Amino acid sequence: MRFDVYTPLLLSLLLSVVAPVIGGRVAPALAARVLTSAAVLTAAATTWTLVLLAAALLGDAPPVVREAREDGRRLVDPVPEVIGVAAGVALAVVVWRVHRAVRAERSTRRALRRLCAGQPADTELIVAASDVPQAFAIPGRPGRILVTSAMLGALAPDERRVLLAHERAHLAHRHGPLVTAATLAQAANPLLAPVRSAVVFLVERWADEQAATAVGDRRTTARALARAALTAGRARPACTLHFTDRAVTRRIAALQTSPPPHLWPAALAVLALGALPALLAADATGDLLGLLSGVLN
Amino acid sequence: MAGTGSRSRAERRSAGELESEVLATLWATERPLTPAEIQADIGGGLAYNTVHTILKRLYDKGLVLRDADGRRGAYRPAKNAAELTAEAMHEALDRGPDPIAALQQFVTGLSPEEERALRELLAGGGA
Repeated sequence: MRFDVYTPLLLSLLLSVVAPVIGGRVAPALAARVLTSAAVLTAAATTWTLVLLAAALLGDAPPVVREAREDGRRLVDPVPEVIGVAAGVALAVVVWRVHRAVRAERSTRRALRRLCAGQPADTELIVAASDVPQAFAIPGRPGRILVTSAMLGALAPDERRVLLAHERAHLAHRHGPLVTAATLAQAANPLLAPVRSAVVFLVERWADEQAATAVGDRRTTARALARAALTAGRARPACTLHFTDRAVTRRIAALQTSPPPHLWPAALAVLALGALPALLAADATGDLLGLLSGVLN
Repeated sequence: MAGTGSRSRAERRSAGELESEVLATLWATERPLTPAEIQADIGGGLAYNTVHTILKRLYDKGLVLRDADGRRGAYRPAKNAAELTAEAMHEALDRGPDPIAALQQFVTGLSPEEERALRELLAGGGA
């Protein structure tokens, strides 16, 4: 048990190191899916591990100890008390973080619903008459695309088609829920932050590839991204202080080469990396149940 | 109806997608557009009749207006709803913590050196 409960933490670090590498080399649709799956599995496993470590404190609880003495059994304490207490505290932090993330998601969804209020039911595009160049997809039934007039005015006709195809891909492939899953995984396990960043980047790449296919031209797609980024940059000079992860530049560079391959072996390795902590946590559960059942019966 | 070449490309797009494209085209231009101008702008072998049908649908939804004092048959986008949407959007953007930042935005910030590189790309057509 000692080995099993600490390994998931190491494995989540490993997943975080692997995520950006996979993100740059594997087809974005495949990479985004496997990384999110692995992150969710790992986060569940590390959270459950904390539960186990905290629960192991039960082994120190006076009734359990007394009962064990009466039975004449020797108690094996698998977890030092200080670790158990630390796990309990960590668990409380995890619960608070996940709660906060869920609330943020809800608030975003509410804000978006307000934007859709009063729009004709079967209309995909919502235009906002605004000087701020802005474009994003609004998940839901039906999904919508919100674009400001400033953004539409800045793009050439074929570039506008890229923009619409890109946002449409976000909706069609349910990128919203995928990113939400990665966000909640990160909330439960902060070590997974790089995995979430990789997924956020990958869904953009995924939508870019879909747009390039829909428009039939990678160069036009790259040009649309460049124009939109420059327009948005001009309108927001505060962006010099704004954090930039070179995401747009990296996306444009990716469009200037051929689409990355579906590297199934790499994808399966990532999935295995996610499944391993889950298996270890399951194994540790068995150990703990075995330990407790002896004294609780 | 087996379309070929560029003609089939437009027809593969669904009615909803074409509606978005027509609406986007009207918003992108400063002046009202006739169906023929929209047809030329969108390209992809879109039939004139299709553009006309889409404009009629957008008009019925109140998203576009017939240009009353301008040229015959020209359309322009309806501003009122879009201004309300913009207000709601800015309200959402101004409320911290920024809920829109949590969304997949089409583009994110640029550093000055990235900006230079992108400008060169657009100027040189090197994409």
